[in-house]
This record gives sequence, structure tokens and C-alpha cells, in this order.
Amino acid sequence: MGYLDGFKVTLRKWAGVNTDTGRRVTTEYPEEVRPKPARFHGRHVLNRYEDGMEKCIGCELCAGVCPADCIYVRGSDNDPENPTSPGERFGFTYEINYLRCIHCDLCVEACPTQAITESKLFEFAFTNRSDAIYTKAELLVGDDGRPRQMPWENWDGGFDPAQDTSGWMRATSSGGFAEFEGLVAWAGELGYGVRAPEGGQTSEQAGAEAAAADAAEDEHGGH
Amino acid sequence: MSDTAVDTQESTQEVPKVVSSRFDVDDGHTLHGYTQSGSFEGYAALRRALTMTPGAVSELVKDATLLGRGGAGFPAGVKWGFCAPDVWPRYVVANGDESEPGTYKDRLLMERDPHQLIEGSLIAAYAIGAAQVFLYVRGEMPHAQERIAAALNEAYEANFIGKNILGTDFSVDIVLTFGAGAYIVGEETALIESLEGNRGMPRLKPPFFPAAKGLYMMPTIVNNIETLSNLPWLLSHGVREYRSIGTEASPGTRLIALSGDVERPGVYEVPQGTTTFRELFESERYGGGIRGGRELKMFIPGGASAPWFFPEQVDLPLEGRVVGAEGSMLGSGAVVVMDDTTDAVRACWRLVRFFARESCGKCTPCREGTVWEERILRRILDGQGRPSDLDLLLDVADNISPGPYPLAAHPEAGLEAVPFPPRQTTICPLGPSSVAPITSAISRFRHEFEGKINRKDSIPVTSAGVTSV
Amino acid sequence: MRDIEITEPVEITLNGELVTAQNGELLIDACERNGSYIPRFCYHSRLTPVGMCRMCLVEVDTGRGPALQPSCMIPVSDGMGVDTESDGVAKAQDGVLEFLLANHPLDCPVCDKGGECPLQDQAYAYGPGESRFVEEKRHNEKPIPISELVLLDRERCILCDRCTRFADEVAGDPLIHFIHRGSHTEVNTFPGEPFASYFSGNTVQICPVGALTASPYRFKARPWDLEETESTCTRCSVGCRVVVESSRNKVLRLQGVDSDPVNWSWLCDKGRFGFQAGNSGNRLSRPLQRCESGELSEVGWNTALDSAASVISAAIAGRGPQSVAVLGGARLTNESAYSWAKLAKDVIGTDNVDCQLGDGLPAELVLGLPGASIDEVCEPGATVLYLGPDAKEELPILYLRLRHAADFDGVKIVEVGPTLTGLSPYAAESVTAVPGETPSVLAALLDGTSEHVEASALLRNASDLKVVIGRANLAEDEAITVQTADLIRESVPGATFLPALRRANVRGALEAGLAPGFLPGGATLAGTLPTGWQSMPAERGGGAAEILEDAANGRVDVLILLGSDPLRDFPDRSLARRALAGAKTVISIDPFVNASAEQADLVLAASMFSESAGTTTSLEGRVTALNQLVTPPGTARDDWMIAVDLADRLGADLGVETSADDLAEEMAGFSDAHVVLGDGAPVGDGVMLDISGRDLLTSAEVEVPPANAYSLRLVLNRTMYDKGTLLEESESSAGLAGESVVKLSAADAAPLGVDGSTQVKVTSEHGSVTVAATIDSRVPKGVAVMHHALGDVDAGTLLVHGDPVCDVRVEVS
Repeated sequence: MGYLDGFKVTLRKWAGVNTDTGRRVTTEYPEEVRPKPARFHGRHVLNRYEDGMEKCIGCELCAGVCPADCIYVRGSDNDPENPTSPGERFGFTYEINYLRCIHCDLCVEACPTQAITESKLFEFAFTNRSDAIYTKAELLVGDDGRPRQMPWENWDGGFDPAQDTSGWMRATSSGGFAEFEGLVAWAGELGYGVRAPEGGQTSEQAGAEAAAADAAEDEHGGH
Repeated sequence: MSDTAVDTQESTQEVPKVVSSRFDVDDGHTLHGYTQSGSFEGYAALRRALTMTPGAVSELVKDATLLGRGGAGFPAGVKWGFCAPDVWPRYVVANGDESEPGTYKDRLLMERDPHQLIEGSLIAAYAIGAAQVFLYVRGEMPHAQERIAAALNEAYEANFIGKNILGTDFSVDIVLTFGAGAYIVGEETALIESLEGNRGMPRLKPPFFPAAKGLYMMPTIVNNIETLSNLPWLLSHGVREYRSIGTEASPGTRLIALSGDVERPGVYEVPQGTTTFRELFESERYGGGIRGGRELKMFIPGGASAPWFFPEQVDLPLEGRVVGAEGSMLGSGAVVVMDDTTDAVRACWRLVRFFARESCGKCTPCREGTVWEERILRRILDGQGRPSDLDLLLDVADNISPGPYPLAAHPEAGLEAVPFPPRQTTICPLGPSSVAPITSAISRFRHEFEGKINRKDSIPVTSAGVTSV
Repeated sequence: MRDIEITEPVEITLNGELVTAQNGELLIDACERNGSYIPRFCYHSRLTPVGMCRMCLVEVDTGRGPALQPSCMIPVSDGMGVDTESDGVAKAQDGVLEFLLANHPLDCPVCDKGGECPLQDQAYAYGPGESRFVEEKRHNEKPIPISELVLLDRERCILCDRCTRFADEVAGDPLIHFIHRGSHTEVNTFPGEPFASYFSGNTVQICPVGALTASPYRFKARPWDLEETESTCTRCSVGCRVVVESSRNKVLRLQGVDSDPVNWSWLCDKGRFGFQAGNSGNRLSRPLQRCESGELSEVGWNTALDSAASVISAAIAGRGPQSVAVLGGARLTNESAYSWAKLAKDVIGTDNVDCQLGDGLPAELVLGLPGASIDEVCEPGATVLYLGPDAKEELPILYLRLRHAADFDGVKIVEVGPTLTGLSPYAAESVTAVPGETPSVLAALLDGTSEHVEASALLRNASDLKVVIGRANLAEDEAITVQTADLIRESVPGATFLPALRRANVRGALEAGLAPGFLPGGATLAGTLPTGWQSMPAERGGGAAEILEDAANGRVDVLILLGSDPLRDFPDRSLARRALAGAKTVISIDPFVNASAEQADLVLAASMFSESAGTTTSLEGRVTALNQLVTPPGTARDDWMIAVDLADRLGADLGVETSADDLAEEMAGFSDAHVVLGDGAPVGDGVMLDISGRDLLTSAEVEVPPANAYSLRLVLNRTMYDKGTLLEESESSAGLAGESVVKLSAADAAPLGVDGSTQVKVTSEHGSVTVAATIDSRVPKGVAVMHHALGDVDAGTLLVHGDPVCDVRVEVS
């Protein structure tokens, strides 16, 4: 009678409405929204530095690592007089096709400059294919770090750009600091909605150490 | 220092002056002075050589065991024999690019007795059948350049150089060239590159042994100035008399450029093998004792690239073979004495900085490694050292010169001597030379390094001699 | 590592095992061949080893125990013991890699080399995972341009000496070198003297890090974006093998393939960066037809082909098939050329077909002379008589091969031509002959009466003379070249010839029958009908000059320009102009609206390099593959498709069912190479045609008028960068064409009062131009040199086709 075993769950729910075992999990979405998990993967944003420079250097590592092949990046030479990003190269074209994106976050892992991160926004639906391809202008945050809202995005359902944009995480070493190796960390990055590190995290300490090391190095540079 | 037995027998005997006999003669640099003064008659040796066959001259030099005075100490006569047979033309190059810190003996030979060098070069050219001799003089020695130029003019006029020298069918030209200020050009293959008009960067041996493929890919004998300057005396006085000076294995004399913390620094001609470092430092004829009566801390027996010696080695004789077996080298004949006021870390850094600055940049370990070493040492000196730095320094050094580096014995610490020469991952010995001060200093004065690292002593103890940074 | 044949085997002990190696080969190659790859940065198999990077250190048993030796400098000898995997070797290699990385910036994400970088790759295998170098890295200004095309990032440079060795040894342009020393050493140019080499792009290809980047590829893509295919460069007739790389249907980069018989991995900058023309915004994407207002306007293919077919039908019906003429075809693949030969000669029935534009060699010579391959010409110890154009300007990789042969392999080059060339510094002897006098000068050299005793002796003593024959002077009639060839064959019966052809696939087009009097496979009209053909032209037609002459005289109803631009390329410029005006209908088939297409009534949009598949035949007769990687813009299509469609509208079937492969199959009937290729074997270095020569040769006797004492003989030749359409449409080479000048010898310039850049008037019997004059030491007395297709000054108006030589007068204007 094995096939009846599967009904046990259903029966238990019926029998025990309003008890712990039979607690209803369906909510009245969209009127009612549940808080999103801390590491929710939503639509991407392209970040800027504090001075407004773009973080993206057009290296295409995100596109290279993307298992869904949904990212298209092309770099270009920075104008030395009026650079878009620090260094020689910037992301000239940046497109993500959300019809293909599986929100695996490998792009975030791959990014050497923390330019691309994921927000917690998932409520966006398009009525044509070209809307699904987010261009660089659409992905790039404003000077205040606030992402740009597309007409087809629903920000009312509990998406708070101040809370839900900046938190990014990666499981690999960021910025080359061995202290990050194997740790899941919240970035102490500048921008919108900076979060405190999670319990037991060392990003700030590590960050501070790194800063001290940098400072020490600068001193040596003089010799 | 102990004031015991300086070898009295040696010190009382008059030391023959083989190459330095005209150092004190006012016009020793002129043709007149050369023929009228000194320990042999000027250009008589050339006349004698011209009566012999070239092979006989070579044989004579080989019999005399005239050891090269540039650093490696290879017998000149044997070297001449390496010329690829039946390949012509051949060249003789006199290596006057003396630029190792503390070495200034060749400079005196060129300034005080240029004719002796010219005559020696002519004898060498005759012996190997060279049609041209190149005198390569360091760029920073204008006085030597002028004196040699003047001497060449005199010698040309007197038909010692040029066509049909002294009426024989032997013809040779001597070309005077100047360096452009690079230590590395003292390395023979780099010198050849420089002579050809290229960047002074060493060629790889093998396959570019100068005697086989040298200047313009032709057989070339590169000899040190002092080596060539020995020839006129040798041919005038003969093998027997030459071999009566010094020891059986290392006959003759050596010019030693003594510097550092001694009372009487200077260039001294000493018999090889029979003089000890102690005699050199303490005898009145030479160094006259450690300056101010202080204690000897360490000394460099053969130029900046030689591993250091310490008071334990002070009774070793000045003989290449012995010094090599004891973990250093006689090298270019520069002996630098450091007394107990010397900061070992700073001395080490100062020497390494020299090699870092003089690296030619051709091969990776030397180009990147020497500068890295210098920067670590600088950091330690500045009080920014890390505990891991000493291991790092030794490992970087090991990547330039793998394996045990030549080292003087230290019986107290149970260290045995590691004989010269070091192994290398580089093309030429410049990179491995930078390792010498590091391994020497750390092996003996590790506590000084650790003091700087742990206490962050950023103010170095400076001896009177080392002031500039 | 190159594949070699082991002729002198020796046994060495490699990591404890006995293996076989070639005696004297470098240890690094021997180890690799026997399965032990040794990491390296400075070693390159086409450059002399220097042993600088020290990455290839291995332990060699010296008899006094193992010693670390650079394996790139050690020749293998019998009984040698080598250890490539010992702890000591690993330590040394780890150390070297750490040293290399110590000052190397970690900007791999923005570096164009990232992803295909030997240093990046080796860093995974050697050296510590984390840097122990805590000091500030060395800083330099980020990329500095060292030439128009090449940028140098000194921070990334690991000083491997590859680019500098290439510039010195291979290209012969030692314009970059090390400066400073120690850790400040850097590669740079002499101040104010850019690395203006025709071969500069090769340094980018061989740079083991991202220190040298080429501006056309800079930041265009990452290596993992690229799709690639092997193909053959079609910018000249040498046939260099290349890898074409594209991303998103756009060709982005060409790299040379180390093809032993051809280009040894080198490319000239024109070939390397010329692909940019394909990406030009001026590409034709649809056919154009001249509308009533007189403008060219876009039409659909049906309309275009219908009108083309109708004018051709009308011409055939009117004055007969010979009133249709086809000019050009050397740009095409072999298969397309064959389809056009069949269309013209079988379907239409005209023999007025020529794939060259009066600037090449007669088909009889190319197909008839006993051939020599590039390898045979450059064979160590060979003697080469060079009678071609300036190889450095026109056939750059042949120049590199000859240069190497002369410098390293003892090949003696005797150059006979109107001026000294880029090859002269490497030639054993250079003899100049005033235009028109090459045959007499050569005759004297060959019979020993010449005053050039050494040159004469070299030629007379050569056991196996190789001749590179071509047109060094476009102002000299091609009959003089025929006469020269004739003379050599008579005096030196065993001589073999390498034709220095101008355009990419001239040889293939000639083999396909795109020449008057010829059928595919070098057959003549007197021969049998080729397989698959219904008919052949009834009478022999004319070459380019006759066709244009006919057109100018109104005897051509339809002039089809098959990828040719006579207004720019035909030496006699005024004849070309009159011809285009005189032809009733001009149809141009081209990727661009070039100068001639602007005069056409119909322009059919054709595909280009890397847009169509097929084969091409190089000057030595090597058939290699052309592969398709991207699609042509819009509805532009392959030339063979146009031929098939036209034939269809003319009521004939060219026998193509699906693709050009059907044509290739049919070509197997006359081309042995296509039999081999048809087997589906990998093409690789290609298949050589039978080049032993055919019984086609004619002789010519040209009466050259004596030189007028007051005049100079004109030499019209080419430079690498000119105002040709493809170069102008390539972004990186558009600005590189020089200014028009007339070059004079100092001896001729002085009496004229010419110094520096005086404006002069050059006058011939037929016209005159005003141009700046310069003094050039390579120009002999009695000669004035002008360059073809350069700038606005039309040197072509000075000459008339058919004149043996062109005498000009130069006056200060």
C-alpha cells in the first residue's frame, strides 16, 4: 500500500488545521509578502565607487563564467581625461538577458572588482523580449547607489532598495585577501544600504588589516 | 687582536716587485720612465718574446703557472691554449673594467705603468697570434685612459705596436676603448658584447666560451690587466725566478687593494700563498693594524662578491686555492676590513644594493631577485622587518644560487666551510654574488638581524666608514 | 616545437628513461618531443635562443654531477642525462616564476592576454600560490604607443627578448631594444623613432604576456569569446596560413600559423590587420542598380540578376558572345573562379576574360615555366636570381623567407632590377638595370661579359639556379619580362621559376581558366572540352589591355568587373577611364563600391575573406583552404552563387546542387590538388599543384628605344600601404599610405635643383603630373621612381599600355 503513504501529509494537514503541524504556508501574495532570505538572489545591479566611477572594467569574467550564457559584455578604452572606471578599460556594453539568467550568482563570484552584485528584487515581468535584456544603463546604480526602477518592476512588494540592494556575498576569496578564503562575507563596500557583517564574520577586521598593510606598503614606496 | 707571530721570515725578506715596481716612479708612465726604471727593462721582454716562437712563449707562460688575476684564478697559459685551432683572426682583450667595490689595483697599473700593460698585451697577442688587441678601460677612469692613450702613441712611434714590430713580421694594432659605466662589463662575455657595440649583457657559457666564440664570434682571449702586466717581468726574469715567489701552486705576487678599517689602506704587492691575512692587516709594511686598535669583526677577502671571512680565518694565506676551499675567494684582490663598530645588516644591505643596481637585467633571477633582496634588507634596516623576512631572504637567495652557498667555517656554531664557487640559476655570477653578503651575514650575525626585526631598531649602528645611504 | 624528421638519432636519458632525439637539436625540443614539456618564456623555435628567462632550467649531468642548465641553449648529444622533474629543477622553476610575477601587475582582468597568457598559465603550475613580495610593484606609464598599431605596457613586460629579437633577426628592423638596466630595464624605441615595421604585429603574437597589444584588437574581446578557424591570408599571393578569430559574427583578429613551407608563423601587418575591411561600414550589403536619376540605388537580387542576365543575353544575341568581357577574378576562391570561367567560356562563350589587370605575368609564363616552391628557393646554399618587385613591399613574407635564407642559410641572392629594394641589403649582389635593359644586362651576366664579375660568377656557377620572376616596373611592358624569362631558359636550361604574382589567387584563377586562350587546368582552346562543359569559345579573346581597348572603342557591350578596379589598378590610367566610359554596360561584382564600381550600371554585393569557404592557390602553386567563419553583411553572397544564378537565368546549369563543394568535385577533373582535397584529408599546409611546367611558352622580342639623353626612365612600383580599397577600408591601415612622390637619384636631382621635397613636374609623351620630388639612395641614375595607386597624383596617366618603357622629363615647377 505504499502509494497511500504519500497521502499522509495531506491528511495530516487536513486533520490539523491551525495546529503547528498543519500550519498554512500559503500567503495572500501580493497583498501580503514574506521577508526575503538574507542571501536571496534577485536581479543584478552594477555598482559604482564612492566618487561615481563605475566599478565594472569590462573584463567579461562574469560572461565567461555564466552557465546560462546570459551576460554580454564588451570592454573599451577609458578616455584618460574623462575615465568611466579606474584603469585602462571599462565596460562599454553590459547586458543581462533575464529570460536566461538562473540567478546562480557565479557572476558575482567571478567579478574581480565587485562591480556586479545581486539585489533581492525578483518581481519583474516583461511583455516583450527586448525588455528582458537589461542594458548597462538599466543595471547601473545612480550616483547615490540607488538602482534604477524599470516600468515593469514591482518595487511595492517589499523591495526596499536601501535594504535589499547592496548585500552581496561570495564564497571565495575577495580582493585577493586570504583572510576571506572560505568565508561568506558581507562586503563593507560603499554604496547603498551597507550592512553590518554577519555574526562571526571578519570582513571589517580583515578590511582594516588590509588597509593597514596597504598603508605600510605606501610608506615603502618612497624608498 | 692578538699580537702573536707574524711570519717573521717572510716579513724581513725583501718582496720582489713584479708589477708595482714603477708605482713610485714619477715618470714611470712614460716610455722613458718605463725603459729607465723598474724591476726589469722596458720592452726587453717583448724583444725576447719576438725571438721565440709563439708556441714557446705560450709554453713559458704555462710553465710559470701565471694564474689569472681577475677573479677566477684560471692559469693564463692554459686559457690561451683553448683558442679554437686554425680559426683566424683572433683577438686579445685586456679587461680594464675594474669596478668592484674596494678594487682599485688595475687602476694603478693603468695609471702608473701603462707601458707594462701594453708590453704584456703585445706578448699575449704574439703568443696566440692575435692581430688586434683591445684595451677596454672603465669609463670612470679618465686618468688611466689619458695615460694609456699617451703611452700607446709613444709605443706606436717607437714601433712597439703597428706594422712589422721591431723589424719582425709580427704586426698588431692596439685599440683603446672605454666602458660606459657598467660593473657587469667586467664579466668577459658582457665585455665582448660591449666591445661589439651592444648592450653589456653576458652571453651564455656554453656555448659562448670566448676562446672558442668570442669577439665577433672569433677566438678571443680576455685577460685581466694585472695578468697581462705580469708578462714583461716574467719574460725578463724567466720562469724559475717567477716560480721562486709564492707557492708551488700559486707562484708570483698579487696586488691587493686593502681598504676598510685598517691604519694604512692601499695597494700592496704581496707574494701569493706565503702571506697571511693577519700579516696583511697588521704588519707595518701593509695595513699597519686595525684602525684605532679595535677588534676585527669580519673581512671580505676578495671583493664585494666574495663571501665574508671572520677572525677565525685571519691566519689563512693569501692563496686562491686555499681561500676557495675555505668558502670564499681571493677574487679581484680587494680586501675590505670591517671592525667591531660595523653594523652587519647595514654592511650587507650596502653590498647587496650595489649588485641590485649593477644587475644588467638580462636574466630573471638576478634582475628581480637582487632588487627584492635589497628591498627586504632595506625594510629590515628601516625597522619594518618581519620575523619571516630572514627565511624569505635566504629563500630568495637560494632561488638565485641554489644549494649550500660558500661559507666560512664557524667552529663554535658547528658550521663547516662550504667551498667556492656557488651554483647559479643565472647566466653570469653577478646574481649569485649578491647572495654572498646575505648568507655570510645571516650565518654569523643572525642576532643583529633579529634585533632589528624584533625591536624595530630603525637607527642603524654606523661605522665611521659607511656614512652614505 | 616544430616537427622534424630525425635523421641523426642519439639516445639521451630523460628522467631515467632512454629516449631518442635528433643529434644537435635543442634539449627543450627533444624533451617536449619525448613527452616532457619544459616551461619557457623567452624560447621561440623561430628565433635564436638567448636563455634569458631561466624558466626552462633543467638538470643536465655534466659528469661532475647534475647542474642546472637552460634547456633552450643546450644542444642534445649522445648519452646526455637530463632530469626535468627533480626537486632542484622544480625549486628553480618555482623561483623563476615567483621572480617574474614579483613585479608583474595582477591586472589580468583588463589585460587582453588574460585567458591565453603563458605567464598566467604557468603561474598555475609553478611558483607559490601567494606572493611573498610585499613591496610596491614597479610602475610605468600604462600602454605607450610604440607604433601606429602596437602598444607597449612596460609593467607587464617580463623582458623575454622575443619582440626585440624578432625585430632584429626576422624583420630586420631593429627599432626596439632594451634601455636602462637591472630592474629598470625596459623595451622601448629610440626617442622619436617609432617601431614602424611592416611586421610589427608579429611581436604582439609572440609576446608571452600582455605587454604588447595591437590597437585593432585592444579590448575587443576576451579569448574565450573567440571562435576560430584556420584559413589562408589573401592580401597577397604568398598564401600565409592564418587562424581567423571572430566573436559575434565579426572577425576580430588574425594570427599566423607556423606553416613550415610558407610563413613560419609570421604575417605582415597588412595581412594581419587587413581583415578590418570586412567589418567596414561601407560594405555593400545589397546589389545596387543605376536608376533613372543616375544614382546607384539598392535593388533586390532578383531584379539585379534579371537585368544582368538580360544585358548579357542581349549582347550575345546582338554582337555575339565576344562582346561580353570579364575582367578580374584573382580575389576569388578557386571554386568561384572556376564557376566564373565556366560561366564566361561555356555558358556565355566569350574568351575575353582576364583575371589580371595588365600588372601581372602572362598566363603562358605562370602556367608554363618550370616552377620552384618557396622552400626550394630558400633551400640552404641555393643561388637565387631575383627579378621581381620589391618583395618587402609587395610579398612581405617571401621577403622574410629570403632574408632568413640569405642571413642564416647561406643563400646567395643576385638581384637584378631597376632600383635597389628592401632585399638589397641581404642580396649577395644587386645589379641595377635601367628599365628596358634587363634582358641585355642579364644576358651579359649569364654569358660572363658583364662588368659585374661577382654577380656573373654567382649566376654562372649556380648548379641549380632559382629565379624569382615578376614585374618590378609596371611602366615596362610585360613582353620584356617574357623576353627575360626566355633568355634565362635558353642560357640556364635547368633553372626553375617562382612567379612573383601580385594578387592573392592569380595562380588559382589562371588554373581555373580565367585567362584568354585558356581552359581550366592550363588547357588551351585547341584542347578537348573539359568534363561537364557543353561548349568553349570559338575564338581566342584578348587580355586585360585588349578588353579595355575594345571597351574604349565601343566594342564591348557588357564589361563584368569581377572584383577588380581597373580605374585604380590598371597601369594605363587613361585607357581604363576611356574603357569604363566606352563599355555599354558595366557590371561590378565587389564587396565595396570602388572607384570603378562607381561608374558601373550594376553592382552586385559579394562576400569577402572569411565569409566564404573554398580554396586558394598561392604563387608557388600551393592550394590551401579558405574557411568561412562569419556571414557576409546583408544579402551579399559568394561569387560562385552569382555565377550559378546568372547561368540559370541564361538557361544553363553550372552543375551546382548544394554548395561550392560540387564545383570542387568537378574541378578534380583537371586539378590533382582537388582530387587530394576531395578525399576529405585535413588540408593543413595545403597541396602543391604539379609545377613542373607546361609546353606553353612563347618568346618575345622587344625593341626598346634608346634612352634620350635628357630624359629619365620611369619606374612605377608599389608600396605596401597604398590607396587600394581594402587598405582604405581597414581602419588601422587607412592612414598609412604615404604621399605621392617622385624619387630620384642624387646624381639626377642635383642638376635639376631638387633637394628635399621640391615640387616638380613629371612629363611624358602622354601626360604630366606635378608631385614632390625626393632623393633616394636606392634609385640609380637615369631612373625616376613613382608609386602606383598612392595619393591623388595619377602616375598612371604618364604611360600608355604597349609602350616598352616610359621616358619622362622632370622639371622643377
